[in-house]
Amino acid sequence: MKKKRDKALVFSNKMYLFLIPALSFFLILWVYPVLQLFYYSVTNFNGIDYNYDFVGLKNYIKIFENGSVINSIGNTLIYTLVVVVLSNVLGLAAAMALNTKIHFKGLFRTTAYFPALFSAIVVGFIWTYVYMPSSGMIASLISLFGGDGSTFNPLGDFNVALFAIALVEVWKSFGTTMIIYLAGLQTVDESLLEAGRIDGCTEWQLMRKVKLPLISSTITINVILNVIAGLKAFDYSFIMTNGGPGKSTKTLMFQIYEIAFTDQKMGRASAFSVVSFLVIIAITVAMLFIMNKREVEL
Amino acid sequence: MIFGKKKKDDREVETYLKLTPKVLLLYLAIIVFCVVIILPLVIVFSSSLRHVSNQSSPLLLFREFTLESYITAFNNMNYPAELLNSIITTGGSVLVVVLIAPMAAYPIARIKSKLARFLYVFFISGLVIPSQMVIVPIAQTFSRLGIPNTRFTPMLMFITCSLPFSVFLFAGFMKGVPVEIEEAAYIDGATLSQRFWLVVYPLLKPAIVSTVITQGLWIWNDYFYPMVFITKKAQYSLPVGMLQFLGDKENPAQWNVLFAACVLCALPLIIVFLILQKHFVNGIAAGAVKG
Repeated sequence: MKKKRDKALVFSNKMYLFLIPALSFFLILWVYPVLQLFYYSVTNFNGIDYNYDFVGLKNYIKIFENGSVINSIGNTLIYTLVVVVLSNVLGLAAAMALNTKIHFKGLFRTTAYFPALFSAIVVGFIWTYVYMPSSGMIASLISLFGGDGSTFNPLGDFNVALFAIALVEVWKSFGTTMIIYLAGLQTVDESLLEAGRIDGCTEWQLMRKVKLPLISSTITINVILNVIAGLKAFDYSFIMTNGGPGKSTKTLMFQIYEIAFTDQKMGRASAFSVVSFLVIIAITVAMLFIMNKREVEL
Repeated sequence: MIFGKKKKDDREVETYLKLTPKVLLLYLAIIVFCVVIILPLVIVFSSSLRHVSNQSSPLLLFREFTLESYITAFNNMNYPAELLNSIITTGGSVLVVVLIAPMAAYPIARIKSKLARFLYVFFISGLVIPSQMVIVPIAQTFSRLGIPNTRFTPMLMFITCSLPFSVFLFAGFMKGVPVEIEEAAYIDGATLSQRFWLVVYPLLKPAIVSTVITQGLWIWNDYFYPMVFITKKAQYSLPVGMLQFLGDKENPAQWNVLFAACVLCALPLIIVFLILQKHFVNGIAAGAVKG
């Protein structure tokens, strides 16, 4: 008991004062704006004129009726799924390959990580060139090998464009995922693997039964980081496709931006934000629940 | 953990895998993979070194070496001013973050109470909120607080958005700093702020490096907040300056200049990365593994 009281003396409640600067930023510029969304969402505020009216649930009814909510939720989820799966599978595979004793490890690692250094806007420009029909990189390569490059137009294809921009995100982000996996794999105790080998495990068994369970927390953090990044999808819809063709690459965040800044309908954009907020919270909570449960089982 | 591991590797003499067919296949797979990843960047770099008017296929790599496209891009971009703005905003934001995020993490990591636990979750939950979602009320808050649109305005948002991850990182890292050191300092009569700034803070160096790299990286590359808050061209940072090329991206005639601009935009970070490569790799990994 005495020990505990000493602790309280050393780490007194005065320490909470250290929170003031960070908490001020966070409350004024992050939490308060999120709360304001709920208020603006029931008005017809246009961003300039402060004589706005309350319109009740009209904004919500509108965005559900015109189908933009369902469309952009669907697009965002597909985008997120592609990014999470590809980034983790490629990242883990690359990390496993680089975790062996091979030459030029550093060079390979640098190469794989390199795209992560570029601004999304530069990446968007580069990949617009890569995807261009006729004269773009992939189209030219197809022509070079005797195919017809002029018909290759992923960004113009209603069914493919979303996957095409998700692939750009994977290209940029998987190097970071790989580096985190590499760090996780390096914490795996070599003697455990040695023991497994003596017991006659194949390399595949070692990976499934020893390595993967041991790095489960690394998998969790990578999946969480990629899901968060996927749900924030905005850059490549904004830079590369402008939401098109049709509505096929309009993600939640792109849609909000478009309603707020192109249509100048702040009230409606706020209603859209509230819906996005609920979707993101629901997915995050569900994910944490599943991940926690899985880690306990292991 | 990672830092300890590195030392061990240095002491050991590396024994490489023998070149069996299986290992050769592994090399081949890695090389093909790397080529696929890096190919767009190689083409961009080679095109940027061509004359502005060179219209031949960009696939014809490195046939021409001139800085003409770079000079055109440099002048179009107002490069020195943009570079300076990028350095100021990124440097300033990161500096504030590495001061106030560890401060906030201090009570969160040290006090065992429901309130501290709640604050921890409270900060982390900020991680899932995208910028585009809250930009409307944030812009309103700014105008109500009378904050003018200057080159420094985006810094407020850079700092705020960096807090969730940084606090999470510092709180995780601080749990590894032994309580006994502080108790000793307390007995020696150190005040709370002396204890934090002179005893705990210097021990956070790896977490500070990690924060500078992970947060500096996204802040340097962010174009969204400057795009919303800055109206004057003279105040643009490098990524926002790139927006002026938005119309050129689908026009092959403009590609050489566009690509030169892309290289110029990325160049400062590439140089920093090549110099501090080890810190980058360790910093990113530590950021995720420690927390």
